[in-house]
Amino acid sequence: MSARITLLTATSIAITVGAYALSRWIGIRRPSPLTVPVFLATPMVMVVITVTHIGLSGYSRAGGIVTYFLGPATVALAVPFYRRRRVLLDNMVPLCAGLVTGTVVAMVSAVLLARLFGQSHALQAAFSLKTATAPVAIAEAPQVYADPTLVAGLVVVSALLGTMIGPKLLSALRIKGSVARGTALGTISSGQGVAQSLVEGELTGASASISMALAAIVVTLLAPVVVRIFA
Amino acid sequence: MIRLRLILVMLLQLAGLMALNLVGRWIAHTLRLPVPGNVVGMVILFVLLLTRLVRLEWIDATATVFNRHLAFFFIPIAVGLLGYGSVIRTDGAAMILIAVITVTAGIAATGAVVTWCQRTSQRDP
Repeated sequence: MSARITLLTATSIAITVGAYALSRWIGIRRPSPLTVPVFLATPMVMVVITVTHIGLSGYSRAGGIVTYFLGPATVALAVPFYRRRRVLLDNMVPLCAGLVTGTVVAMVSAVLLARLFGQSHALQAAFSLKTATAPVAIAEAPQVYADPTLVAGLVVVSALLGTMIGPKLLSALRIKGSVARGTALGTISSGQGVAQSLVEGELTGASASISMALAAIVVTLLAPVVVRIFA
Repeated sequence: MIRLRLILVMLLQLAGLMALNLVGRWIAHTLRLPVPGNVVGMVILFVLLLTRLVRLEWIDATATVFNRHLAFFFIPIAVGLLGYGSVIRTDGAAMILIAVITVTAGIAATGAVVTWCQRTSQRDP
């Protein structure tokens, strides 16, 4: 019995690694917001575990093992942040003012709209976390009584929308500065926004990377307050 | 031989990141911080790097792998959405509409505030 569970877990991890590797391969050949690994790999894994009758229950143990590493992965975010600390020191006021404003606007508007649309309290709470980078949003979910899975889904979808809408929106608003564009994309679209910003240039990417780390802290500090007041 | 050494070094670095995550969780729990433990761990590592108590090369190799492949680690949670078919069918369209509106507002607000601050500071140095 336990041998069967070990085999099932190993198979599930292998499926996840395979789907991720394949999505990365496709993403490198056809770069687009729609070919980011998590957006491609997730449906692939869903199809494979359904077809092979592993199912969510069989997959969950492997999921738990992979998910555990979100902890150390978040700690590791300090490294790109530290490497680019110069950009933060040179742009301290605009960068911080921008990321705090953007986070508050996105958070409060999302919670209020979710309430207006008659969504459940748990979903309103999930919406408050959607701009944070996924590992942080998932870790924060229990603190605001939101479902981690729904939070993860919202983070991935809104980060994707941000990278699709963001660059054109900023150009339409005549926002051309690298720091402004990077801060906007990193604050609202986290990891996917950083990847998109790096396409525009090093300073844009650095601003996005710093904003992602700082905005994650702002989200975790403000989410419980915003949910208490507006949800 | 060099390969084996690199693997051992990376495992040690992984242990270091896991230890910082544990310390972060313990601090967040003990002090009842509103911030999750992994974020506390991130802040601790940043401070250790700034104060040079930890050198970048002690942690770099494994941290780079985590940062490059961060998306891999949240695939399993996103796969969990498979069990949320009914929620997505009833509320999916509204959820995407809310996301489009708020993401647009957030990006516009962030970009505008950064640009405004930069202009203001240039005008009176």
